[in-house]
Amino acid sequence: MSTTVTQDMSFLHLITGASVLVQLVMLILVMISLLSWWYIFRKLFVIRNEINKTDEFEDVFWRGADLNALYQRTTNSRYVSGSMERIFAAGFNEFNKHPIGSDLDAVMESTRRAMRATYQREMDYLESHLSFLATVGSVSPYIGLLGTVWGIMNSFRSLSSVTQATIAHVAPGIAEALIATAMGLFAAIPAVVAYNRYASRTDQLATRFESFMEELSNVLQRRAAQ
Amino acid sequence: MSVSVLRNFPHSEPKSLLAGGLAILVHLVFIALLVFGLNWKDHPPEGMMVDIWTELPKSVVQEPVKTQPPPKQSKPVQEQPKSEPEPPKPEPAKPEPSKAVTAPVKKPDIALKEKPEPVKKEPKPDLEEQKRKEQEKLKEQDRLKELEKQKELDKKKELEKQKELEKQKELERQKEIEKQKELEKQKESQKQKEKEQAVQRQREQEAKARKEAEAQRAAQQAAARNQITSEIGKYKALILAKIRSRIVMPPDLPGNPVAEFSVTLLPGGDILDVRLSKSSGHAAFDSAVERAIFLSKPLPLPPDPSLFNEFRNLNIKVHYLE
Repeated sequence: MSTTVTQDMSFLHLITGASVLVQLVMLILVMISLLSWWYIFRKLFVIRNEINKTDEFEDVFWRGADLNALYQRTTNSRYVSGSMERIFAAGFNEFNKHPIGSDLDAVMESTRRAMRATYQREMDYLESHLSFLATVGSVSPYIGLLGTVWGIMNSFRSLSSVTQATIAHVAPGIAEALIATAMGLFAAIPAVVAYNRYASRTDQLATRFESFMEELSNVLQRRAAQ
Repeated sequence: MSVSVLRNFPHSEPKSLLAGGLAILVHLVFIALLVFGLNWKDHPPEGMMVDIWTELPKSVVQEPVKTQPPPKQSKPVQEQPKSEPEPPKPEPAKPEPSKAVTAPVKKPDIALKEKPEPVKKEPKPDLEEQKRKEQEKLKEQDRLKELEKQKELDKKKELEKQKELEKQKELERQKEIEKQKELEKQKESQKQKEKEQAVQRQREQEAKARKEAEAQRAAQQAAARNQITSEIGKYKALILAKIRSRIVMPPDLPGNPVAEFSVTLLPGGDILDVRLSKSSGHAAFDSAVERAIFLSKPLPLPPDPSLFNEFRNLNIKVHYLE
């Protein structure tokens, strides 16, 4: 009993005592976890910033600000614009390129196309790296499981030379191996939570952009008809 | 112009470095949690397994040992201050004699100074007498000095004696303390021995009690087994009797043929299967016994369901003649 209890089961000992493949798996998982947490925080800041900018721009726009002034402000290189402002600028720029008196349908169609192109680009930017989070969430538990299975396999293989098998022979190996699963889960759980949260946030932003595009094209059409 | 600005708009990502720092912070916290969490749970069991069992009897004995030493240590600590302040007392006493030594030395100076004055005032009266007087005075002063010196020496001697006495007293006290300590230790060791003996007695008594209890249990078990075997035998006899009562014996068989059947029973006494394991040699007798077995359904079984295993597969031997 005492020999099993006094075995060094500290965290560092468990990691250094693991086999090479398990250690490799742990290293990969640490890298993945670091990367995924980095992206989690980056996307957190980006999306929160985007929501703030959109709120601010909608507020200014619907209070009846001058469209030309808004356009000037957006295209000013010093001003850090949001996605919705860029969509507005693209649409307004395209609308103003057409000479007065040209076909209204054609003007509105090209304006809408310009806005849609910018919208696609902005959504691409907002959704970047989200797929990485989804991948981490689904794959890293399997990577951890691979390490665990390998470690348990090794610890059981060492039992073959022993006549009397006790838990003491297997337990350290299994404990070593299970750390890999723990690491995988540690990488996966936050990634999945963050992915779901950010995906819903970007969806909300997308619907806001789309409805704004429709409303802006109405405003511009009225302006052209006058 | 403006279009190019819009298309190549650099997406300035806010706080990407801060995000990296936060990610590393999260991992450091997690690693710290793992390291300290695992070490925390590891160490306590190491000492616990061994200590609990060995210390159980001693812990009772060690408690007085732990509580008594502090007074012992405190006593000498209290006595030392008593003995230490005593030497300082003589020390302040020394300066007094030293003052007494210097004071008389100064006094003659003053006396000498005073004396010339009367010499100047009364030069004519007998110088010899004055000289004699002065000499006498000087002699008296010398005597006084000697007396004072002797007194001082006596005082010093007395002080030394006192010191020696004090030292002796201290030594005696220390010896007494040591003796007391030894006595206490002896008492403690006696107590420990007594307690250990008591524990041993208790253990022996417990062992005896255990043995007795085991013997009783064994006897009870044996009795229970006897009861069980007797019950099994009784019910087997009952089954055989019931079957026997249902047999319609074929007449006039030669000798005493024996038919053996193996019967499989269900709980409750129902018959699941009857197989002829050893024929009597007379088909009429065999079939008569088989019919009788089926007719005697349900067979009598003991009410205790745990005994049913003894009846699950029954071997029934039926003799033609009783």
